[in-house]
Amino acid sequence: MGEILAVRDIRKTFGAVRAVDGVSFAVRRGTITGLLGRNGAGKTTTIRMITGIFMPDSGDIQWLAGGSGSFRDRIGYLPEERGLYKQMKVIDLLLFLAEIKGVRAHRDKIGQWLERFELTDKRDAKIEELSKGNQQKVQLIGTLLHDPELIILDEPQSGLDPVNMVLVRNLLRELRQEGKTILLSTHMMAEAERLADEIILIHGGKVVLEGTLDQVRGSFGKNTLHIDFEGDGAFLRDLPQVKRAAIVNNAAELSLAEGADPQAILQACMPSLRIRRFEVASPSLEEIFIEKVGTETLAHEEAR
Amino acid sequence: MNKMFAVMKREYLQAVKKKMFIIMTLLFPFLMAALVAIPGFIAAKGMGTKRIAVLDGTGKLQAAYTRPNEVEKTNETAQQEARKALSGRSQPELPTQMKVEYVNQAGAANPDAALKPYLERITRDDDAPDKLEGVFVIPAKAATDQDTPLTFYSRSSTDFIAQERLGKLANKSLQRSRLSENGVSPELVENLLRDLRVDAVQLSRTGGKKTGGELNFVVAFIFGALLMLPSLVYGQETMRGIVQEKSDRVVEVLISSVTPRQLLTGKILGVAAVGLTQIFVWLAMIAIIGGYGAATMSMADINLTQFIRPSVFLYFFIFFILAYMTYVCIYAIAGAVCNTEKEAQQFVMPIMMVMMMPWFLMMPIVLNPDAPFAIGFSLAPVFGPITMFVRTLVTEPPMWHVLVSIAVSLVTIAAFFWITAKIFRVGILSYGKRPTLPELWRWLKVA
Repeated sequence: MGEILAVRDIRKTFGAVRAVDGVSFAVRRGTITGLLGRNGAGKTTTIRMITGIFMPDSGDIQWLAGGSGSFRDRIGYLPEERGLYKQMKVIDLLLFLAEIKGVRAHRDKIGQWLERFELTDKRDAKIEELSKGNQQKVQLIGTLLHDPELIILDEPQSGLDPVNMVLVRNLLRELRQEGKTILLSTHMMAEAERLADEIILIHGGKVVLEGTLDQVRGSFGKNTLHIDFEGDGAFLRDLPQVKRAAIVNNAAELSLAEGADPQAILQACMPSLRIRRFEVASPSLEEIFIEKVGTETLAHEEAR
Repeated sequence: MNKMFAVMKREYLQAVKKKMFIIMTLLFPFLMAALVAIPGFIAAKGMGTKRIAVLDGTGKLQAAYTRPNEVEKTNETAQQEARKALSGRSQPELPTQMKVEYVNQAGAANPDAALKPYLERITRDDDAPDKLEGVFVIPAKAATDQDTPLTFYSRSSTDFIAQERLGKLANKSLQRSRLSENGVSPELVENLLRDLRVDAVQLSRTGGKKTGGELNFVVAFIFGALLMLPSLVYGQETMRGIVQEKSDRVVEVLISSVTPRQLLTGKILGVAAVGLTQIFVWLAMIAIIGGYGAATMSMADINLTQFIRPSVFLYFFIFFILAYMTYVCIYAIAGAVCNTEKEAQQFVMPIMMVMMMPWFLMMPIVLNPDAPFAIGFSLAPVFGPITMFVRTLVTEPPMWHVLVSIAVSLVTIAAFFWITAKIFRVGILSYGKRPTLPELWRWLKVA
């Protein structure tokens, strides 16, 4: 599938801080691309440059979708922090948000959206009267109302409860099926893992990893062990072949050191533990994330 | 275009629905009128009556300090009072708010001892029934000796109006009695001492004459306030709106949908529409009240059109829009470069002090509307609309003054809009520190 957006070597400096330092990537049509990174990695600045809120200091951003209509009208953008007029009624605000995208939104269509998000009874409420989660849902409706081709979401699930998270997750999958393209910035790795087709990992203003989810995970090899057991598994942490271990109750996720043999670990387990599950797998996105960008911080933490 | 209209529509509807707008629109003209009328009313009536003892050592002045016809006096309107004060009178009268306790002390053996109880009454509690606000002493020698001073005792030394009036009464009466004692007949005295009345006549360029110009002063202040205050209030609102859009991050959604120029244009036109709505309501109110007022006033023998020409309304409309747009642009800049309302207030404060200058100079401008400094102000950018409007109200400036003033204001607004748009382009998106002046300058060049 073709590319809809190409970002080439964009840079942005605020005073002495290099927020984005030569980021390049492409977003393919009909995919969900996850833009991952820690807080302050440069995700939001990158997105603000794509949406035209900031001009990049250098580099360029190309809109490759073809067809007519301005870029501004064909994207939908959900900012990281809520950007709503607090004094306005939900219905008036949504009509306005559609109008500034050049679309005269139909009240029925808004009604359908409100119903889907369980907001029908909040139709005439003022934004400031809504809970944080409901405001987020209104913002999301405002992002989608004009039927954009490229949907850019900056931390869409912040402030949502688990039920609403599922609601949003299903919606995003549905939008992808309809052929929409989604650029999703998040620091919730589990969510990215569930949704994203492609991953772009940003750290310190630079892309440190990119590719499809499978490629990314494959490139790390099957170096992760999932072990469910009975007994005291604390010693697993201290095995020489184990680089990092997360042990919770009777389950352990172990990252293996280079060249380590899972079989050796199984043998080490045998004498003291009853093994119920032993799986050699690719690392989770979270593991990869920590491996790539978090090791120095974690090392720092442990040293303390 | 449609997007700009959407921004404008939102801006307008949000502002018009606010309580503040309704209050401003409906109550402001009354508040202004009250603000002007109340001090006048208080000065005329509300201070309460002043009780003053007049100790007359000559024994000849009872008539001067006694009112000939109490009932007729109290019916006088404040306006007639004001007019009389300005036009002179045949003989000084006792002000209505002064209650005189006349004591004939002719032949008193010890005037100082007689004075003492009266002075004590001045220092008494406010609610004491025989409390005095002042004691006016006319010594016995005053009838004959030209160098004998009269004395006015009071707790506040600032009541120079009462002092002047009481003194004048004494002097006039003493002059009369001296003349009579020298054989001039009372009728002749009356004729010789008559003050001449002064009528104020304003000449218009076309040669027309009108009287009643004294009241222009009050009218100038009311209209000046109507012109200026909404500009300040809605300018502030615009600034607050922009700062809030930034702090609520709405601006991110807006800028990802409309260009900064569309946003700014829509915003300013929306606010302008609010201002227009406001003055249309006001003009309608003035027309209704004025119609009713003119009817009552003509019964009171005052012709409203004597001091308000119909052209005033046209000028008011033009200069209101010009002043309003100028102020709104300046406030919009403040909103765009600042991140919090407090910061924006600080930023805009010194600028506003300068812009308020015509207001502080209202008095000299009204008194000398054709002086070079008034002409200069009326043709200057920013100060022009208000000064020029006041001039059209109290005098008749040459048409080219008016046209130049309008042209200068239009150019100023265009320039301000251009600057605002540039600063908006960069400033509205810059979170964080408020820019320094050199930074602002760079924004202007870059954007």
